[in-house]
Amino acid sequence: MTMTESPPSEAAESSAAPLPAVGGLYDWLTTSDHKAIGRIWLRFGALSLLFFSVIGVLISFERLDADAIDLFGGVNSYFQMWSLYRFGIVLMVAIPLFVGLATTIAPMQVGSTNIAFPRAALAAAWGYVLGSLITIISVLAGGGWGALDGVSGDEADAIRLTLLGTGMVMVSIILGTICVVTTVVSLRTSGMGLTKVPLFAWSMFVAGSVWVLTLPVAIANIAILYIDLSGGAGLFVGAPNPSFDVYAQLAWILDQPAVYAAAVPVLGIAGSIIPVVAKGRQVSHEAMMILVGLAGLLAIGGWSQPFFGDERDTLVYIAFGVAAMVPVLASVGGNGATLVSGEAPVGIPPAHMIGALGSMLLFLAATAAGALRVIDPLDLIGTTADTGVLNLVALAAILGSLGGWWFWAPKTDGRLFSGIQGLGAMTLLLLGGVLLGATDVIAGFVDTPDVLLASADDSLGDAMIVLSMIGSIVVLLGVLGALGAITLAYVKPGEADNDPWGGHTLEWATATPPPAGNFAEPPARVRSEAPLLDETPGDEGGES
Amino acid sequence: MTATTTQLAAPAIRRPRTVLVGTMFASGAALMAYFGVLAVYVSERAAARDAGEEWFAEGVIELGPSGWIFWTLVLAAFTVQWAVQAIRNDDRPNAYIALALTGMFGAAVFNQLWFIINDTGFALAGTQGQFLFFVMTGTYIVFLIGAVVFLALTTMRALFGQFGPSQDDGVAAAAMFWHAVSVMYWVTWIAIFVTK
Repeated sequence: MTMTESPPSEAAESSAAPLPAVGGLYDWLTTSDHKAIGRIWLRFGALSLLFFSVIGVLISFERLDADAIDLFGGVNSYFQMWSLYRFGIVLMVAIPLFVGLATTIAPMQVGSTNIAFPRAALAAAWGYVLGSLITIISVLAGGGWGALDGVSGDEADAIRLTLLGTGMVMVSIILGTICVVTTVVSLRTSGMGLTKVPLFAWSMFVAGSVWVLTLPVAIANIAILYIDLSGGAGLFVGAPNPSFDVYAQLAWILDQPAVYAAAVPVLGIAGSIIPVVAKGRQVSHEAMMILVGLAGLLAIGGWSQPFFGDERDTLVYIAFGVAAMVPVLASVGGNGATLVSGEAPVGIPPAHMIGALGSMLLFLAATAAGALRVIDPLDLIGTTADTGVLNLVALAAILGSLGGWWFWAPKTDGRLFSGIQGLGAMTLLLLGGVLLGATDVIAGFVDTPDVLLASADDSLGDAMIVLSMIGSIVVLLGVLGALGAITLAYVKPGEADNDPWGGHTLEWATATPPPAGNFAEPPARVRSEAPLLDETPGDEGGES
Repeated sequence: MTATTTQLAAPAIRRPRTVLVGTMFASGAALMAYFGVLAVYVSERAAARDAGEEWFAEGVIELGPSGWIFWTLVLAAFTVQWAVQAIRNDDRPNAYIALALTGMFGAAVFNQLWFIINDTGFALAGTQGQFLFFVMTGTYIVFLIGAVVFLALTTMRALFGQFGPSQDDGVAAAAMFWHAVSVMYWVTWIAIFVTK
């Protein structure tokens, strides 16, 4: 039996060759190559990550002395930045990084020469960039998702612009996701049934389906609020002026269960990286697929919006909150079993491994905190525990997508990123994520309000806010380290093999960087979820 | 050690209905967006009634004109499937007639909706019910226009010789989105015009 643990490098020459030419602005605006389109998502997502990490640090500084809101210059500005951070970290960082990674990697994983509807995918990528810029600029101009302390006419206009920008980002995510999931459904190579789809592509299919079915409900909410602000009587936005109601009507997408959908691909990234590190197959690929699907199902959350009344004390909400932990915990167990049963080398783990494991653990922590949050007697809803769960989910998604980016860098960027710098950055992000999320959850136990407009009355709450601030700084350092390493890889590019890790799936059968069309010749008929580990037909009598 | 990419090259795959699959997801998204608005309408109406408030005055919303839209869309559902079947049979004259008829029914639905909006005399800045009625009909008109444009593009592509028995997914996709928009109205009709 012949195994192909090593890369089938005959498919193309190993190289540190430049990426397929996408040079000037015209090329970036007209490219139909899914790798270039994915890089638009990834690079703008990375810049957004830096921006929102800085905003996170500023907010945490402001919370240190909430009695005197002086850093942002007023209650409204503080609220704008607070809500910008929350919407931004999920809609403009976490999900877009996954969409970018999937736009680049998923077509290669399923053996396709390109993504489905490449021009729509390109429009989605630029729509995301434009929508994010509109949102950020409108918030800086006094907009945002409502206000706490009244608004002027211009600010009301800016709020409308913020809603428009948010809607545009959501539409772009939906469009980009439809391209990815359609690729997974209908452009799979010969022999690749749905049960043989690699876990990352599968997790994007699951999470993408949830986004495609959930975000339109939020867009409907935005349409109602926008029209109400533009010509209605302001019945839904807190008549006569936009108030906290605007944020409250939309906040369900940042709340459990819907927010969990932003981190579901973490399970797929871990499920793709860990078997490669362990040098063995996933213990049970089909079971892992079911768990990812279950995690996606439990993240459908359009029903929990405040338009339908307060659903957060219903049995369904509690059941969703508790059950969401189960598939994540089981996925952690499955990946752990894969790691133990394999032949992972002893020593310092690679950066992508820390990213994969860390992101799963943060996601597990998020669902565990979410399960506590829905227990009524604990009274955590409306406290900083809300932000704690959000931060844990967002950091899980960010760490997972960065881990994936490190792993697939030869295919996304045509080069390897520094392992040592990556290791440092991932470790900082993991520590920062735990500190940032856990402290807010603990502060919630002493009733520290989520929108903190006065200092906490409790010494434990105060201590947690200080630790949370330290966590946000650690996260920022991790982000700076990661982006620095990526930048350095472009300044001093190193050699990158076609398959530096001994990958199992078809993207590792392409050259580095992958050429236009990805594959020099159509991949062989796929017979398992790890085609590069399969036996070669006709070699059954060979070595085993 | 043998590379898997070089062994037994797979036969070329006939891409299975990429446009249809993409449209299926897009239709799902459109349905969720529309039902998101409808659910808010129904939920607010129930809350108003629970509070003992009147949602609409008696007789403001009439069943007659809205029923005509219902039946127009039923006819259009048949004609659009007629177009799909005609393309599959490579019967182009029938396909053109069916597509044109469907587009015409779309224009008729738009006209009838416009009549209903004017007939009610609602104001956007009026009551909660009037506001939501406007948002809902407006959202529906957006999707209806989208379906008609999709159909028109498909018709033009058919006129230029595209589609046929082995490649009908463009017409089938347009039909699928059309059906999704019809379903939006049928549910609305029951939820708003029948149950009021």
